[in-house]
Amino acid sequence: MRLGLVAALGGVFLAGAVSASGDLAGDPVAGRKVAGMCRTCHGLDGYAKIPIAPHIGGEPAGYLVAQLTAFRDGTRVHEMMSVVARGLSDAQIADVAAWYAGHRAVARLTADPAGAPAACVACHGADGIALFEDAPNLAGETNIYIDTQLKAFRGGKRMHEIMSDVAAEMTDAEIRAVADWYAAVGLKITAGE
Amino acid sequence: MKNLLFSMAALAASAGFAWAQGAAVPDNLEKLGNFQTTGVTEFTYIEQGGDYAAGIKATLERITLPDGFKIGLYAIVPDARHMAVGPQGIVTIVGTRKDKVWSVTDRNKDRVADEVKDFAPSLTFAIPNGPCFSKDGFLYIAEQNRVLLFPAAEFFYESPDVAAFNLVAQGDLIPPEDVSYNHTARVCKIGPDGKIYISLGQPFNVAPAENLERYNKWGIGGMIRMNTDGTGREVYTYGIRNSVGHDFDPKTGDLWFTDNQVDGMGDDIPPGEINHQTAKGQNFGFPWYGGGSVRTNEYMGEEPPADVVMPAVEQVAHAADLGMSFYTGKMFPAKYRGAIFSAQHGSWNRTTPVGARVMVTFIDDEGMATSEPFAEGWIDENDEYLGRPVDVTNLRDGSILVSDDLAGAIYRIWYEG
Repeated sequence: MRLGLVAALGGVFLAGAVSASGDLAGDPVAGRKVAGMCRTCHGLDGYAKIPIAPHIGGEPAGYLVAQLTAFRDGTRVHEMMSVVARGLSDAQIADVAAWYAGHRAVARLTADPAGAPAACVACHGADGIALFEDAPNLAGETNIYIDTQLKAFRGGKRMHEIMSDVAAEMTDAEIRAVADWYAAVGLKITAGE
Repeated sequence: MKNLLFSMAALAASAGFAWAQGAAVPDNLEKLGNFQTTGVTEFTYIEQGGDYAAGIKATLERITLPDGFKIGLYAIVPDARHMAVGPQGIVTIVGTRKDKVWSVTDRNKDRVADEVKDFAPSLTFAIPNGPCFSKDGFLYIAEQNRVLLFPAAEFFYESPDVAAFNLVAQGDLIPPEDVSYNHTARVCKIGPDGKIYISLGQPFNVAPAENLERYNKWGIGGMIRMNTDGTGREVYTYGIRNSVGHDFDPKTGDLWFTDNQVDGMGDDIPPGEINHQTAKGQNFGFPWYGGGSVRTNEYMGEEPPADVVMPAVEQVAHAADLGMSFYTGKMFPAKYRGAIFSAQHGSWNRTTPVGARVMVTFIDDEGMATSEPFAEGWIDENDEYLGRPVDVTNLRDGSILVSDDLAGAIYRIWYEG
């Protein structure tokens, strides 16, 4: 496990470096218009309105671009997101990612950070605020959302160079414990500067 | 208390219940199944009233209804989804798409709830969306991939430790590899035959052909039924995309159900559906049909099954028809008796949103169904949702309850004339 994590972290730094240089700079003002098709589920500020949708306000832009592109190209599948993303251009994806990334996600962790899940904190933080462009915030997500994603990584329905390995070793109970940890973190999303 | 527990156990045993205990029963479920205490003593109580309630009441001022009907706030219930009113009228159990089940009690019978607290707080739930009661007071809760059974729930719910058993153990409702989040909000109801009917949505917009054989075997994209001891499971309905509401016509005993149709084909097609099933094994056309008679692009070249049953009544496209109940009360005017009240959650991907209202569907003597809006006004002038109705159920006094998972509330609609 420790070996896996070290190898995984190497992957993160590499991925972060690549995406930072290759980013298409998005226009948040144009992205706000694109967000009209997101807001019923994710909220206009990225604080989700329904439990199945993750909070995406203040999410790293690189993560949002990667996920929307994956939904569009069919490498990640979801009954709603595949429909939404299939008509988006690269520019629209960059714009809407810039809109949501332009918000600020503030986590409030009341539990002792020492209890945070060891396999997750290096990328997602003890409070669920991502430390890398390639990782999503997890603070305040519905536990079942995190649970579903970890099981998708474990079963191969969702693929990621790091997450597939991390999830492969987890039991149902461990997955739920991780999901409960991050779901219990308070989250506030505010407008960016 | 001890005597009561023993008599409950004896009752369960004498009634011949053979509760299947799966291999991976969580500790607390095992304890509750043995009538032991779990050590969990704390309930989570939801504050009723205050500023939050005032905000919802302001929204309800905007809601339009036919003459003589009134709507009021019944309870603040976070993430409120499907509801089940206890057969004694003591408690209303409310599911969520998260990890809580709520019990709602109107102690002084002024038709506004006084207490909302979590049900069975020692258990770990996953999408406990669908509660249903049998006439003799057994509560069933259909989760993402498990169905639990709570004998005498209307009595036991006042304690954190409520007798609980597996009806379908974790992982046995559908194959774990087919589990998703969005289309796994299950609904259950007990049919006139005493069997439990559970809807199983399929996890795609349009299901891939290579999955259909497996789905049909399990009843995914369909409806299953089984005896209330967990035996005799069979697929009752085929060809559903994602049904999130069903009920039995008290006059004929027939099953009626809503179905949510294919996305991404445009703003105005395919239509939503309310369906009428008259025999076991009928096929309602998905994935060949995306809703009504609209063919899906993915199956355009394929021959649909010959015996596909078309919807009894079509609904506006993308309105997301969810929970429904036949009206069984006597408070409303005569024309509403035996009608279907159903909730439209509201569209998520339409240019201009539609839905977010309560519909009423009248069925004439020939079985022909027609629908019209009954309560609406939850979409404001800026196309923003002020509420999203999920389910409708009957209260014993003849009024109806409507749940709303956006506002986190239950409304009551009554008739004053």
